[in-house]
Amino acid sequence: MKNICLVNGSLRGKEASSLQFLNDIDRKLPDAEYHKTIITVIGKIQDRYPEEILDSMAVADVIIFITPLHNYGIPGALMRLLEDYYVYREPEYNRKDTAVYMIVNCAFPRPGETCGEAVRVIRNFCRRLHLKWRFAICIGTGPVVVMTRKIPFLYPKLKIAYSEIISDIQNAGNAKRIDYLIKPIIPERIIAAIKHHYEKKGRMIKPINKPQ
Amino acid sequence: MNTLLILDKDSKTKLSKDLKVKVIRTLKENGHDVDVFELGRNDVTQCYGCFLCLTKHPGECFNKDIVNEIRKNIDNYNATFYLTPVLFGHYSSTIASPINKGAGSNNLQVVIGYGDDIDEEERSTFIDLTAKHCGKADIVHPGLVNQVDVFVSESFEDNVKICEELKKYMK
Repeated sequence: MKNICLVNGSLRGKEASSLQFLNDIDRKLPDAEYHKTIITVIGKIQDRYPEEILDSMAVADVIIFITPLHNYGIPGALMRLLEDYYVYREPEYNRKDTAVYMIVNCAFPRPGETCGEAVRVIRNFCRRLHLKWRFAICIGTGPVVVMTRKIPFLYPKLKIAYSEIISDIQNAGNAKRIDYLIKPIIPERIIAAIKHHYEKKGRMIKPINKPQ
Repeated sequence: MNTLLILDKDSKTKLSKDLKVKVIRTLKENGHDVDVFELGRNDVTQCYGCFLCLTKHPGECFNKDIVNEIRKNIDNYNATFYLTPVLFGHYSSTIASPINKGAGSNNLQVVIGYGDDIDEEERSTFIDLTAKHCGKADIVHPGLVNQVDVFVSESFEDNVKICEELKKYMK
């Protein structure tokens, strides 16, 4: 029985879009066929992640990172997990041929332009630890996709991408794969207007502050 | 000019110590008052991505850690410099906290990564990741165009070159 480690990179609890995508994948991996462990990142850690969490990753045949995008990178809490795992796992290079997948969701409508660096970070992590990088699903405007993904005939590409992860896990795929880019159904100008409203409210947009 | 320098105190190396000394010296020689915050992994709480600092209580994080204190005073600074190790092409988790919580100056943010075993792809990832804060992805963070810069140091010679380049922000 394969060990699957699902890593939830979001700190937003039940409100997180990442958790919904994690649950989608979890449901597609039958309990009878896989031993699954779910790890959720932690916002404030004293010293380092608990050993049982790091060990769940170390014994896994498959790790799936499901995470939001933070400033085009990965969340700090997930970064901390990678740092701690790197130190924990480093002496055991090549112990397992662990396959790694990623589902990254961002607030922006064009995942191809925004999620690339976060995916590269996970690929770099895999290269450092000799893990077997497989591929990513990059989802634009995650909350919109979460709200609308169960409507029939929408997001066929997302459904295909999920199936591809499951099939790749089953077949222990080795062939090089490309990432899946999932765009939201809501027009970009509406998403941009919502974003602009909150950036203005949150003082993210100029006028420039003039220090005394 | 008031400048904020934020460092990762858990990832000090000979290279980073040299970089810190040289950056502070360059800033002071050019008339900057420098406030230094050395953050450790046990000092910071990570960004939850809840957006409450944009919506419910603008400018303030619900986690009352040191980063929240830095952010409260951010209008007093002309520039923020971050020194961070480059890990898998990303800034460290400790430095991710102030970056993700928007604790950098609204006028200028300079991110300087360091490491003596960074490979080419990690270097390139780090630069691309940070350059996108400059607005190269045209749909994001419009307020930061031309106000973010990034450097990577892999040697003591790089430290010298970076400090020379920083002078362009001090005229």
